[in-house]
Amino acid sequence: MAAPSLSMLSRAFSRISPVLLQCIRQTELATQRTLVSTWFQPPCVYIHSNRLLFTTVSKYEKSADVDTEEISSRYKDRPWDYLESEEYADRYGSKPVWFNYRRNHKGGIPPQQTRKTCIRGDKICGNPCPICRDPNVIIHYQNVKLLQQFVHPHSGEVYEHTRTGVCMKQQKLLKKAIDSARDHGLLPFQVPFVDHSGEDYSNSHDAVGCTPSRPSVTADEPWYPWYLAQADESEVAKVKKIYKAYLK
Amino acid sequence: MRICGGDDDIATVQFSDEKVQDILIRITGMDLQKIFRPVKEELKPPTYKLMTDQQLGEARQKAIEEAKLKLKMPPVLPERKPINDILSQDKFLAGMETAKYVFTDITFQTPHRERFVVVREPDGTLRKASWEERERMIQVYFPKPGRKLTPSPIFQEGNLKVVYQQDRHEDLLDLCIAQFEPDSSEYHKVHRLAYEDIDKRAKYELLRSSRHFGSLVWHLVMVRRVDGLLVDMLQRELINEAVSLVTLFHMVHPRSESAKEAGRLEAKGVELLKVYASTESQRGGYIELALQAHQQMLQENAL
Repeated sequence: MAAPSLSMLSRAFSRISPVLLQCIRQTELATQRTLVSTWFQPPCVYIHSNRLLFTTVSKYEKSADVDTEEISSRYKDRPWDYLESEEYADRYGSKPVWFNYRRNHKGGIPPQQTRKTCIRGDKICGNPCPICRDPNVIIHYQNVKLLQQFVHPHSGEVYEHTRTGVCMKQQKLLKKAIDSARDHGLLPFQVPFVDHSGEDYSNSHDAVGCTPSRPSVTADEPWYPWYLAQADESEVAKVKKIYKAYLK
Repeated sequence: MRICGGDDDIATVQFSDEKVQDILIRITGMDLQKIFRPVKEELKPPTYKLMTDQQLGEARQKAIEEAKLKLKMPPVLPERKPINDILSQDKFLAGMETAKYVFTDITFQTPHRERFVVVREPDGTLRKASWEERERMIQVYFPKPGRKLTPSPIFQEGNLKVVYQQDRHEDLLDLCIAQFEPDSSEYHKVHRLAYEDIDKRAKYELLRSSRHFGSLVWHLVMVRRVDGLLVDMLQRELINEAVSLVTLFHMVHPRSESAKEAGRLEAKGVELLKVYASTESQRGGYIELALQAHQQMLQENAL
């Protein structure tokens, strides 16, 4: 089904641009292609038929391919370095990472939930969310500059997924990272005013103070005359036999 | 928190005395612009009110009352003694269980300091729970807003330094008040480190007009490191506050040289500062220079 449609298309598009024709010929020859490299295809090759050609990836090809960035990003150990780099400045400039992202959905009102996750195993969906589309953007609690892009500068609230377009999995990770950064003191936030006045700190009550022990008590005598410190040996043996399985 | 300092009287002046509180409130100041500064909270559209002069005065009075509530100082208490009471030794229970049992009294109306929390050990001892165990159990059954079960990692050494660099001492101390009891050792430690950092970098302005300034001043007076604060006050032309600070110092350490000298000369006002600069302080020269500059300025203004 793929081949005849391709040849028809190729004849149809042959007059449009030679680049297109060359690409179609390349796709006809190649039997396997990694899914990853679809992201960085030149925009003119955006033809629906391309998707039919991309088969699942074999592990060997992936390990041999050195340029795959989704396995190990250069900034895996220090994710905050990426936001200072030139590639980041070229790609995003001074805008936040989610600024030019647009969700694809039917109708004027977007669904209230973004997709559950963009990356399932090896596959990545079409139009991935702002965090999944760039493997160098890593959510980490020490990556404060990135986290601040997702927090409202005046109200201190975390932006919702409907505003930024991130998938639900990344939104959860974001929330956890922002809370963790606030806990470690890296991200400033407004501390709620707590008033502990009106409490008695004298520590005079017996619950917290010192209860004087009975002066006449020794280790062997019971505190009160009715307090059975000498239990019946046979009774104790019976109870121990019942709960034998649970005793140490 | 009191430290025995040589031949000073130990039990003379306490933090909660009225005179001390008056002085501390005066030193703290009341900068309404700083107390009611815009804060990161839920955004609402602005409200506009048309007021006469009298209504404006009333609104200002109301704001001052609210500010006084906000500036109410948290108590400064001595460190609490650990609880080591054994209520009963029941040898026949030894070996029956493998874990400790904690029994907490959850009657709603009892104050938390009168609540009984006891622990039954696996070897049969019934003892009162320690302070940490008590706080944990009470937080489980009666959670306080702003308090977590385990203290947040912001109170660890490395993270404290990050917070000091960001100049967020006030936020840190607010979190500390929410999390720890005023007589616990962690509370004292966090406050002491914060005050030492402020004193080292002379950033007293961060805490001025907040509820922590009083305890900062008290701590510095107790440890006898008032020089930095005094110099800062003189630089900002707060002569009255400087005089009150020195009077507080003399109240707390009545047998120090400066206090004796002041008593002998019966110095008042700016002379107190001169007496202090000449006797006790390590930066006496700077204080005298600042005083001279201030007096020159006063003379110039008078002319």
